[in-house]
Amino acid sequence: MSDKARDLCKARVAGRISRREFGKRITALGIGAAAADGLLQASYTRAMAASFDWMKYKGTTVKLLLNKHPYADAMIADLDAFRALTGMDVKYDIFPEDVYFDKVTAALSSRSSQYDAFMTGAYQTWQYGPAGWLVDMNEYLHDAGKTAPDYDFEDMLPNLRASDSWSGVPGAPLGGTGAKQWAIPWGFELYSISYNRNIFDQLKITPPENLPDLIEKATKITKDAGGPYGVGVRGSRSWATIHPGFLSGYTNYGARDFTVADGKLKSAVDSAESKAFHELWVKMIQEAGPKNWATYTWYQVGQDLGAGASGMIYDADILGYFMNGAGNKEAGHIGYTPIAPNPEAKGPTSNIWIWSLALSNFSNAKDAAWYFIQWATSKQHDMFGARKKDLVDPVRASVWADKVFQDRIAGSYPGYLETYKATAPDAKIYFTPQPLFFNVTTEWAAALQRMVAKEVAVSEGLDQLAATINRELRDAGIG
Amino acid sequence: MREPITRILRGSALALILLFFLFPILWILLMSFQTNADILRIPPRLGFTPTLSNYVALLSGKLATSSGTLDITFLRNLGNSLLLSVASVAASLVLGVPAAYAFARYRFRLGESIAFTLLSFRFAPPLLVLLPLSLYFQILGLTDTYGGLIWVYQLITLPLILWIVRGYFEDASPDIEHAYRVDGHSWWRTFTRIAVPLARPGIAAAGLLAFIFAWNNFVFALVLASADKQPVTVGALAFVTAAGIQYGQIAAAIVLSILPTLALALYAQRWLVEGLSLGAVKG
Amino acid sequence: MSDFALPVPAKRWRVGRLLPYLLSLPSLLVCVGIVIPFVASAIYSLQRYNLAFPTGRAFIGFGNYISFLSDPSFWNTVEVSIIYTAATVGIELLLGLAIAMLLRERTFINNVISVVLMLPLMTAPALASLMWKLMTNPGFGVLSWAVSLIGLSNFKWASDPHTAMLTVVLVDIWVYTPFIMILLLAGLRSLPPAPFEAAQLDGVPGRFVFFRVTLPMLSPFIVTACLFRLLDSIQQFDIIYAMTQGGPGDSLMVFQVGAYLEFFQYTNVGRSAALLMVLWVITYFLSDRFVRQWHKLRERRQGHA
Repeated sequence: MSDKARDLCKARVAGRISRREFGKRITALGIGAAAADGLLQASYTRAMAASFDWMKYKGTTVKLLLNKHPYADAMIADLDAFRALTGMDVKYDIFPEDVYFDKVTAALSSRSSQYDAFMTGAYQTWQYGPAGWLVDMNEYLHDAGKTAPDYDFEDMLPNLRASDSWSGVPGAPLGGTGAKQWAIPWGFELYSISYNRNIFDQLKITPPENLPDLIEKATKITKDAGGPYGVGVRGSRSWATIHPGFLSGYTNYGARDFTVADGKLKSAVDSAESKAFHELWVKMIQEAGPKNWATYTWYQVGQDLGAGASGMIYDADILGYFMNGAGNKEAGHIGYTPIAPNPEAKGPTSNIWIWSLALSNFSNAKDAAWYFIQWATSKQHDMFGARKKDLVDPVRASVWADKVFQDRIAGSYPGYLETYKATAPDAKIYFTPQPLFFNVTTEWAAALQRMVAKEVAVSEGLDQLAATINRELRDAGIG
Repeated sequence: MREPITRILRGSALALILLFFLFPILWILLMSFQTNADILRIPPRLGFTPTLSNYVALLSGKLATSSGTLDITFLRNLGNSLLLSVASVAASLVLGVPAAYAFARYRFRLGESIAFTLLSFRFAPPLLVLLPLSLYFQILGLTDTYGGLIWVYQLITLPLILWIVRGYFEDASPDIEHAYRVDGHSWWRTFTRIAVPLARPGIAAAGLLAFIFAWNNFVFALVLASADKQPVTVGALAFVTAAGIQYGQIAAAIVLSILPTLALALYAQRWLVEGLSLGAVKG
Repeated sequence: MSDFALPVPAKRWRVGRLLPYLLSLPSLLVCVGIVIPFVASAIYSLQRYNLAFPTGRAFIGFGNYISFLSDPSFWNTVEVSIIYTAATVGIELLLGLAIAMLLRERTFINNVISVVLMLPLMTAPALASLMWKLMTNPGFGVLSWAVSLIGLSNFKWASDPHTAMLTVVLVDIWVYTPFIMILLLAGLRSLPPAPFEAAQLDGVPGRFVFFRVTLPMLSPFIVTACLFRLLDSIQQFDIIYAMTQGGPGDSLMVFQVGAYLEFFQYTNVGRSAALLMVLWVITYFLSDRFVRQWHKLRERRQGHA
């Protein structure tokens, strides 16, 4: 590399020149775009290395437990950069999503030192944290000797940072006083509508604007599209049925999961708002959902959209993104639109799922593992995943502002960025944090299944559900 | 001798039975030669252009999907399944056949209690044992070792072998062994030269069934071992990815994972039925 | 009558008294080593023990069990487990017996069919369920398409509380009937031919032979097959968990699925262990009854023969 090119890269890394300026001048030196990109990445690595002792744990091996996910694939593809930066080695065990969390629970509950760091969601930390299985990462984040000066934790979207931190007091707000940082956000997803543009064009309908509108259009699709059904949502007997579109809509109708008073929780699923929303949701599934709804997970919801079996889905934006990729029949036909289910709401209130990295309390190499987590959630890797791989809901504001990333998405996934921008401002976790999260949401899904199957009326079913939840809260001493 | 009408009834009953039990297998076999786009058609159709891409992906260890190349450890999973099942069955035979012989030939104090206790292990809910077991394995250093897994697999294979082989020994007349002993041969020689060879069909059949159950096990390895020691039952779930379920590969994985067992079953066919005659009284 | 089985008194001769112990103890020790955790589970079941509430851990005696008694979801689990077990074992026994009768003659083609019929047993239930889920998908599923041809276009399989049980029972039958079939076939073929030949010579009607000769002689095999299947069936996990996770509603919440959720999802070790202990007591009681019956039948048969 010529000195001129090196200086240019240095200037760009230090932020002294703009990306556009850098592009113009490096081209003038006769260096192609791809080569320039490579030079720049190398400079970033050097810049990271220069300001911080990344080589401190040279020779150490960190063992990870990973879930089979495009976000993990993006990280694995970039591991050589980490090895070069730190001189450390990384080994990983990767498990299918179906069994991943069971594997995590098995490993942590047996206090196994086998894994140093692992992937998790925020809800899981509400169990793992109080159980004493996780390290509070505040002690690392606020230690200048352990965290690189350019790490810039504040660059991560504030709602995400807050969602991974909690004091452990049932009902206390996420990110509130005394909150511990149980995990570091790494990639996330929020909930909006992904739809089949062909079907919508064919029936001459526009993307839905709210839930009543959605039900009307979805019913029309089921009736008139000649095969496909209207709207895909999850329905299996699992917490995963509750947290995506369902809770986003629930929140939009002004309903909450709990009321908290004097440190005690009380279920609020029997509120008037909740009942009104449940009526609509149940009707939507009965009239325009998949026939096998009660067995539907993330996979079936996505599969139907990708194969043209459903008109739209109310689920993760990244699920709609994946289904627009090669290998799917409907690749290239998927459109995206934000939704505020309540016609009277000001805007969307999307719940979120955050794939995060957590540090095991039983690890024998915590400091070295923190180096890995720090790198995997750094600007540099976030940028790599977003530009080159499918880390398409990155956690850092600076990456969302990146023009290369924006151009790539806008080119192949029209509407995705706009949908994200409209949904993101009020996107956060709308559950009340408490360790019985999985009991509550699983019971909730089971109750929803009974309502959809018309085994119980909505209002009555919710009264029963509230009673069940309240009993479990009392048994655990938090209700 | 037989009336034609019974023959027709018999034939059609068999045809229905074969249809019910083999149709899903046949469908899986067909799927293994299809792309995911062919599999996910509405309504399902028979016509498709066969492709070997699923098998190629499994055997070469690389699979191109919409979200980049997927590394597949299928062959390693298959190897783990073979290792775990063969070693578990072998260990069970070494431990179980002498014990079965003892229960069949000798009446001894607590004999029946020991036999029943062994059998009852087969029926302890696996989860009951599994949960604390991961903690104990951690202490004993057996976590994530093949040895530890083979030990746990004994819960599946040993009682089954014990029970079936015992029945077989009991049915064989002790007279030959007795005569051989009277000729001045040692107990051990009698056991290995006379008793075991006579019981071979029973041992083969029991071994095959135990092999099948070990092969199909899912939850033991999942909880106790790391990814590089997982059998195909867990490994094949890797085709369930966030970007879609790769049904073609799963179907091909099922086909490939059935083949070793099927080969074994066909080979052992002549002993299979004969050997399971537990409790039969031979003439 | 030369083929008729000779009476074989259970001859046992005296060798070193320790020999049988030496032969059987290794097996026992290997299993006992594994079962040490069993004791730990029994102790957990007497505790209030949720991993997410480490400070709340306490010994509560039979508290977990007592709370089951007043918990409708526990009684639902008992009921669902009984229905599932009765339906699967009952149908598999009848079907397995019927197939075994059809394949009774020792011909090459029958032998091949019996091995080929074992293919479902060789398909791991965890993977087979994935395929059944696809085959019963309303859009792409070949079975959904097939039932729509006979007019059932709104059949929801595992997704409808009314047909969910039917669906998982169907999968269970598909996987495990071959197991019963092969055991009973082995039994049928090992029966001495003499009584049947005699019956044929006397012109005894087939139905009479079946109920008065075949069935009684086959009973030890039926008991064994029942024992293995019954105890596996009441502990069913793979198929139900993969197909519906115990849903829709609580319609398929059997013991092991409930216990699995209690541990892996709710981290409630105490409750999970207590649920499994109840299951263990049931299986212990059942297997004890069956083994006694088996000994009785064998002795009677050996005596008669």
